[in-house]
Amino acid sequence: MATMLGQSDPANSPLGLMLLDEITPVVMVLRTPLVEEACLKNGLNLVELLTPFSTFNNIDVPVRTASDQPYRLQKFKLRLFYASDIRQPNLEVAKEQLKEVITHAGEKDFSDLCSDPPQIEDVLSTPESEILPSWFQFVNKELVRSPSFSDHEAFDHPVACLLVVSTKDEQPLNRFVDLFNTNQLPFLLNDGVMDPKILKHYLLVHDNQDGSSEKAENFLTEMRSTFGSNDCRLLCINSSQDGLVEHEVNPWAPYKTDASLSQPLGCFLNIDDFNEIKDLMQDFSSKRIIPHMEQKIRVLNQQVSVTRKGFRNQIKNLWWRKGKEDTPDASNSPMYTFSSIESQIRVLGDYAFMLRDYELALSNYRLLSTDYKLDKAWKRYAGVQEMMGLTYFLLDQSRKEAEYCMENAFNTYLKIGSSGQQNATRCGLWWVEMLKTRDQYKEAASVYFRISGEEPLHSAVMLEQASYCYLFSKPPMLHKYGFHLVLSGDHYKKCDQIKHAIRTYRRALSVYKGTMWSYIKDHVHFHIGKWYAFLGMFDVAVPHMLEVLTCGHQSKTTQDLFLREFLQIVQASVRESLWQSLEEDMIPSLPTIRTNWLESLPKNISKKHKQSNICVTGEAIKVDVEFKNPLQITISISSVSLICELSASSEEIDCDANSSTSELQNDEESGKLTISREQTSNSSFTLSKADFSLGGGERIMVQLTVTPRIEGILKVVGVRWNLSDSVVGFHNFESNLVKKKIAKGRRKAKHSPSDNLKFLVIKSLPKLEGSIHHLAEKVYAGDLRRLVLELRNQSEFPVKNMKMKVSSPRFLNVGSWEILNTEFPACLEKKTDPEQRVQANHNKESHTVFLFPEDTLIQGGTPFLWPLWLRAAVPGNIPLYITIYYEMGDISNIMRYRTLRMYHNLEVLPSLDLSFQISPCPSRLKEFLVRMDAVNKTSSEIFQIHQLSSVGCQWKISLLQPVETMLPSELMPGQALSCFFKLENVRKLTTPEDKVSLLAPREGSDVKLGSEASNEILFDICSSPLADFHICERMHQEGSHQEHPNSVDFILISQPSNDSINTGLPNPPPHLFSHHVCHCRIESTSPIWWLMEGPRTIHHNFSASFCEVKLKMTLYNSSDLSASIFIHTLDSIPSTSQLSEVMAGSPGNQVGWYDTSLLNDIKVTSDVLGMKVGKPPSLDSVSQFIWSGSSSTKVEVEPMSTAVVPLQICVFSPGTYDLSNYALHWNLLSSKDKGSHGKCPGSPYYLTVLQSA
Amino acid sequence: MASTACFIIVSRNDIPIYEAEVGSAVKKEDAAQQHQFILHAALDVVQDLAWTTSAMFLKAIDRFNDLVVSVYVTAGHTRLMLLHDSRNEDGIKSFFQEVHELYIKVLLNPLYLPGSRITSSHFDTKVRALARKYL
Repeated sequence: MATMLGQSDPANSPLGLMLLDEITPVVMVLRTPLVEEACLKNGLNLVELLTPFSTFNNIDVPVRTASDQPYRLQKFKLRLFYASDIRQPNLEVAKEQLKEVITHAGEKDFSDLCSDPPQIEDVLSTPESEILPSWFQFVNKELVRSPSFSDHEAFDHPVACLLVVSTKDEQPLNRFVDLFNTNQLPFLLNDGVMDPKILKHYLLVHDNQDGSSEKAENFLTEMRSTFGSNDCRLLCINSSQDGLVEHEVNPWAPYKTDASLSQPLGCFLNIDDFNEIKDLMQDFSSKRIIPHMEQKIRVLNQQVSVTRKGFRNQIKNLWWRKGKEDTPDASNSPMYTFSSIESQIRVLGDYAFMLRDYELALSNYRLLSTDYKLDKAWKRYAGVQEMMGLTYFLLDQSRKEAEYCMENAFNTYLKIGSSGQQNATRCGLWWVEMLKTRDQYKEAASVYFRISGEEPLHSAVMLEQASYCYLFSKPPMLHKYGFHLVLSGDHYKKCDQIKHAIRTYRRALSVYKGTMWSYIKDHVHFHIGKWYAFLGMFDVAVPHMLEVLTCGHQSKTTQDLFLREFLQIVQASVRESLWQSLEEDMIPSLPTIRTNWLESLPKNISKKHKQSNICVTGEAIKVDVEFKNPLQITISISSVSLICELSASSEEIDCDANSSTSELQNDEESGKLTISREQTSNSSFTLSKADFSLGGGERIMVQLTVTPRIEGILKVVGVRWNLSDSVVGFHNFESNLVKKKIAKGRRKAKHSPSDNLKFLVIKSLPKLEGSIHHLAEKVYAGDLRRLVLELRNQSEFPVKNMKMKVSSPRFLNVGSWEILNTEFPACLEKKTDPEQRVQANHNKESHTVFLFPEDTLIQGGTPFLWPLWLRAAVPGNIPLYITIYYEMGDISNIMRYRTLRMYHNLEVLPSLDLSFQISPCPSRLKEFLVRMDAVNKTSSEIFQIHQLSSVGCQWKISLLQPVETMLPSELMPGQALSCFFKLENVRKLTTPEDKVSLLAPREGSDVKLGSEASNEILFDICSSPLADFHICERMHQEGSHQEHPNSVDFILISQPSNDSINTGLPNPPPHLFSHHVCHCRIESTSPIWWLMEGPRTIHHNFSASFCEVKLKMTLYNSSDLSASIFIHTLDSIPSTSQLSEVMAGSPGNQVGWYDTSLLNDIKVTSDVLGMKVGKPPSLDSVSQFIWSGSSSTKVEVEPMSTAVVPLQICVFSPGTYDLSNYALHWNLLSSKDKGSHGKCPGSPYYLTVLQSA
Repeated sequence: MASTACFIIVSRNDIPIYEAEVGSAVKKEDAAQQHQFILHAALDVVQDLAWTTSAMFLKAIDRFNDLVVSVYVTAGHTRLMLLHDSRNEDGIKSFFQEVHELYIKVLLNPLYLPGSRITSSHFDTKVRALARKYL
């Protein structure tokens, strides 16, 4: 007997425990409404109240079945069901429920899916329980229960009936009789499937709150005399008057799943009630049910032995069955009523199984299975085979037999078609558990694979379980694991469970990571990427899409698809992340919103609706619907619009939803949409209509809108259309079934999770609409113009607290309010009065967030204007993103703030190409020559150059010649121009504080260019916006150069000529061009500038003596540090002589090479080389003069100051001499960096000495 | 000739070194990846079976729906795998044996690095010819 429990006892295996739970006696409960009422005071119905007490772990009842040997039963369980629940569960409802559970699990599991997938080694080392999602168990249990209460098996048939009547009921005795006589009894009893003479137990419930139990006792005595003393009982409940009983370990908690409890479970039940219920169920089981079953077993066994056991009966039976063989298939006919011997054997077997006399059960099942097989009653045969398999398993006898039986049952169930599908699933799940118990994971996986049926969601779950079996098998079969995960993911995708699909694929990725199987890799990455993108997680999608880009092995169409998808995702990713980064600083962080929400949330918005999407009255919702034409001919479709339901307000949801759904069903029945419905719906929302025609096989994405007019719940139900103006068709988004409608075109919503199409409509909110005036599509680089941002709010309610952010401050700058009223470009002109200057925005605001003034309120459709500055800095396609944050004036709203996103694409064409070259002036210290090269790169624009400004106070630019002589008044298209300016260093010694301000052009010097007539006034480069743009420009042009003190920034301002042929508007707004060139550097890098001064031509009589020439060197230290300068004069020219040494060495070295085999032509080249280096020009002039005086001089020069060093040379013969053979070694003192010393070769200085007469 | 057949040579490191769709059926868009998935998954079974027998030809070892995987394991544990829907065991065996010979010839090439992808077009034509002959 199976009461001996060992470690390897099959009864303790998962399957054994499962069977102990599922195959136990059923008790049918019949009760009056008043009983239910009394129980509900505790938050529990009657069955729920009793359930915790009908599971016994140690009932310890002696049982004697067919054999004489009694054994003791320890574990026992009763399953209680209301009579109304004893029927086959509704498949559709069960399916929906499963779907909900799975969807919910998907949402919950998804949170950690953004991290990297786990390594396969980690997966292998984690324990089984952690890998397996916990909801699998629930799903499996539901699937096992789905085929219960079938007529072909007896263990679900009620063993006893519990009739419960309250003492408050009138005439309780009569009620007991009435309860059983109503035609509410389950079909099992009425159809003759089971014996209607069922064990009855009468229970009188007394609610102690209704008074003392004296009356109840009287009733009980009466009952006892009527129904027999053993079958009657009194149960007093609700003994606690105050309802404050707290149970330390609440026995009901595990059975009640919904957590939304208004009162603690069993709060009126005190310890006495508790014990009474316990005793009731214990007695009911041990004294009534078990003895009843024992007795029935013995009776039936007797009967079976008489009719079927023994050789003679077997022969007879065989003969009898043979004779029946001609009768047509009668498996479903009522040939097996409860009185038939087959049914009785089955009852005998099942009762024996439930009392754990497996030997007896098995022998009866065996007997029955041959009978059913001969009768070709396949479902019953399969049921018996299934039980045989389980019995073999629990007996732990023949594993082969057990498996054979399960397989047989499984196949037979499948064979009988759809009616056996649920049973096959249950059988398969039991079989799987059986295999798992014996560590046959590989076989278990293949069974899971076979369970996966037609239903995609069902098979997805089964395939996923199969994959885990492969993972757990020893050794792990990882290839199979990955494959089945992928299969499972595909099925999840089929039923719109994208999150689950991603989850499975990601797990599969741990197997396929780095695989060389290219198609596999592409498939997995491509789909994960696509699905992430579908969920809007573009940043996670992009790395996966990157993986598939190298797809040379794929077909052309696939490659095309991959690339297209990749680009789409990247674009979407970039755009969304850009907006998000822009809004990051402005939008209040999430937790603060939440708290604000809670404070101000209107009470009537229930929790449920908080999750759903929100839309606003009067604002359109856009829905993209894809239409596909499966036919090869063109279909014309007109007045396509959405079907929506809008229930007026949140309180009335329920009734409204009901009415509208019923309305919809009417529509479905008639197959048409009535016009009246359309009209009624028009009152609360407006729909857009679209007309189009679909070519053969074409797909079209149509955007349909619905605009709600009143508050409430809006549901987008489906889409309707007219086919060829005559036939009306519609498609319901909610239903997964593809409806074959009059129009053959199959329409499918791209994705239709029901929640996505449900909107909470809230009352109308202010919405800003923005536009920018004067913003052209195409501008030339350097274009500087004033734009006006116009914001409008059509609603009554004001918006406030506005902030704005611009993506590229280099192009777009926020102006100040005052300039709106001034004239452009006059407002940029230099004011004579320095007080009037508009100060540049030096504060950080211009780079981050611009705050509109506090008192700004926009409402009622009045436009709000604010100036913006645009400067097209560089050519190219420039996207401009502007986002404006605003808060609602009325804070009682659900939405606290909104953002307005504005996007504008600006095409910037190249205009002037500008470059500057600065070289030291040979004749003057601290003066430089600036060469400006400008090329007009446009094809049509003519520029009038207006002014050139140098930025900063240390430089002063001035003209070399009068303007008219050196500049044409206009720069024609394609024309190049170069001209020279003088730049003077006026730098003074500065303190470190001033240095900071160098960034902004506080000061500057300007040169007026162009014809006198056109420009009297110079533009002010030191005020906004030119100064602001200049700061941005400086930052962008910085590049790799480090900040150098001696660099100059130039701004060239020009105006468009009136003759220009404009590309944009016919009458463009006034604009300027400003070109900024920053960090122009003087060609020498040395901070030391020097100038040699002296005579240029000398007449001297060499016959008398050699000539002594006195020279003067002026040194200027332009750095901020004092420098020590060391002048070293050389008698030979150092640089060239060194060069010649190196070069001269080379031919000599090369000799050895040329001697060997390489011939003349090489020698020629070497000759050429020799020629070149052999005659360094300087060699001839060596020692024509010598430096006299000290050969080296050391001076110290203070910052920003000059020093004069006298020099002297002696010339021996007439001629022209280059006095550049000296070097300046400079060393900046008190500086730590290395670059602070250097050496400069001398600059050329030509001296001509003539023989005087 | 089988309507669907995919032949693949897998190196001892589980890397495919030669792939060929040798079926006569019209190619479907997603067939290639499906075939790879099935063959890849069958590697587990090969791993189990290869050491249970001394024969190189392991016959049909795995199936997915109506597609069967037959495998031939060389002495160097290179696996010749064929995914097919026909039941012509003798033909498949001969096919494998002849491809094995071809493979050995490839191995004899001093410029071929064992375990690297077989790019020889000669090998490819020969394999396809064999497929036409036997499958």
